[in-house]
Amino acid sequence: MRIDAYITEYARITPQNIALEEGKNSISYGCLDEDINILASPLVVFEHCRFAILAESGIQYIKILMAVYRSANIAIPLPIEFPKFSLELILDANNVNNIIATDTQYFRFGESFFERFGTVIIVDNDNSLNILRRKLESETNKPKLRLVIYTSGTTGTPKGVMLSDKNLVANAKSIIEVLGITPKDKAALVISMHHAFGNSIIDSHIMAGGSIRIGSMNFMDSVFNLVESEVSIFYGVPSTYRILLKYPDRFKKAFANVRMAASAGGGMDWKIITDIWGLTPNIDILPMYGQTEATARLAYLPAEDVDEFIDTIGKAIPGVELDVFDSEYRSVEPKITGELVARGDNILLGYLDDEISTKERVIDGWLHTGDLAQKLPNGYIKLLGRKDDLIKIGDHRVNPREIERHIEENNKVSKVFVVPISHELLGTAISLMVIPTKGTEINTLFTFCRKSMPGYLCPREILLIDSLPLSENGKISNRSIIEEYKHVKASM
Amino acid sequence: MEQIKNCIIDYLKANSFMDKDTKFGDNDSLTQSGIIDSIGLLELVDYISEKYSIEIPEDMLTPENFDSLQGITNMIFKLAK
Repeated sequence: MRIDAYITEYARITPQNIALEEGKNSISYGCLDEDINILASPLVVFEHCRFAILAESGIQYIKILMAVYRSANIAIPLPIEFPKFSLELILDANNVNNIIATDTQYFRFGESFFERFGTVIIVDNDNSLNILRRKLESETNKPKLRLVIYTSGTTGTPKGVMLSDKNLVANAKSIIEVLGITPKDKAALVISMHHAFGNSIIDSHIMAGGSIRIGSMNFMDSVFNLVESEVSIFYGVPSTYRILLKYPDRFKKAFANVRMAASAGGGMDWKIITDIWGLTPNIDILPMYGQTEATARLAYLPAEDVDEFIDTIGKAIPGVELDVFDSEYRSVEPKITGELVARGDNILLGYLDDEISTKERVIDGWLHTGDLAQKLPNGYIKLLGRKDDLIKIGDHRVNPREIERHIEENNKVSKVFVVPISHELLGTAISLMVIPTKGTEINTLFTFCRKSMPGYLCPREILLIDSLPLSENGKISNRSIIEEYKHVKASM
Repeated sequence: MEQIKNCIIDYLKANSFMDKDTKFGDNDSLTQSGIIDSIGLLELVDYISEKYSIEIPEDMLTPENFDSLQGITNMIFKLAK
């Protein structure tokens, strides 16, 4: 079953129930279903074609997404927080002929951005469609492909994760079970809808016939007002909670009637947990773990075990099997470190137009997560860093080597090293150590980073160094960089 | 007023996706145009509090006060009085 079919079903059973709320607007299941039909009607002539979606988070975005589903096409939501040239890189790497954009984004990105597309459809706020041009072209796509979600964070070309209807429905079902989501629940969705976490909130609450209150983390007063509008489940990445906890009095008042604070996207630290419990002792805290490659979720830590097992990711969600493999792909005993692997109906079809990466990540049906892990005797799983050098910055998974290359290629520098450092709100932010060359200017580097990378990647400091000792195997590693950074800071 | 506005524009040009040649109206939305994100806004709040020695209560962290150059300028003008 497709996700949008659940909207049709609830439009039949409970047409008056509110599906989505945003600011002063709200829309019932009945009206949402009708609006999706209107938007889908000009798309049905396309047969399983790729449609980029360029829309800000909001009711309009969900309508467009569901319309692409309903017309049996393939939705490719573009992560709009990325600079324009990053989106152009994504589009260069993948063949996408059609785009649907809100008028806001059309004016923001400008006409020239849309020249590459054969079909351009603009959606107004009042749901009216403006088909600027239309070009029907047949495409060869994986038959089950329904949605492409981009992994967040990278400065190079983000990978497009291909998901099927089965992936989306299976993961939403597991999430509904773990959180006990009912039609009475109202979700607070204040994170980006264009990535896996936000998308899973939409799918699971729609499948449960509940409602979703949409907002953003931009304006604190608005966020707290949103939570106070009878929200029962709040979702955030750890930095979302860190930001909200800066305002403890308001947090206490706003979250008094929230039954569950769920998290994903990064590990919840003990300070966040105790701060939340200190203000709202009765709230259930539910840390979850996942990857875009698994549609969204893979594991969760039951609320009753948060106290004792916060340093683990808990256990697999229903319908998912987790294991830890050695380098020969054999399951290892508890307390032995290996790579965390996962199997289930939520595992990706593959990466868009990238067979090689797909074969590296999905082996014999097991998704290789790249996370190093150990099984505990009680079956819970503890993470022990990454197999590769990827790091979490502001709850986004990023490749530091890619950032380094991006800065080196566009600036007068000899070498750049990304150092993960702790940050009050982001959890982890980055600093740079730079081996200068003639003409290296720290201010120019700062400006470059601010203008050409997402905000969370902007370095907190830039230190000039003479050289970096290589690690034992002659390679640059996060460990050798962090050690050198400590050394440099100590001698300052 | 004009001085406050120019100061905010300078800050945004240095610390956000706003470029030197970005054409930007006084009432245009900073968040919808992608000039600033949630972390950027928190940093802007810190910058304004320090620069103008004012305390901005959280119930003033609203789109009316922070999503446009005019809103920010009016808010600082009011609080700094």
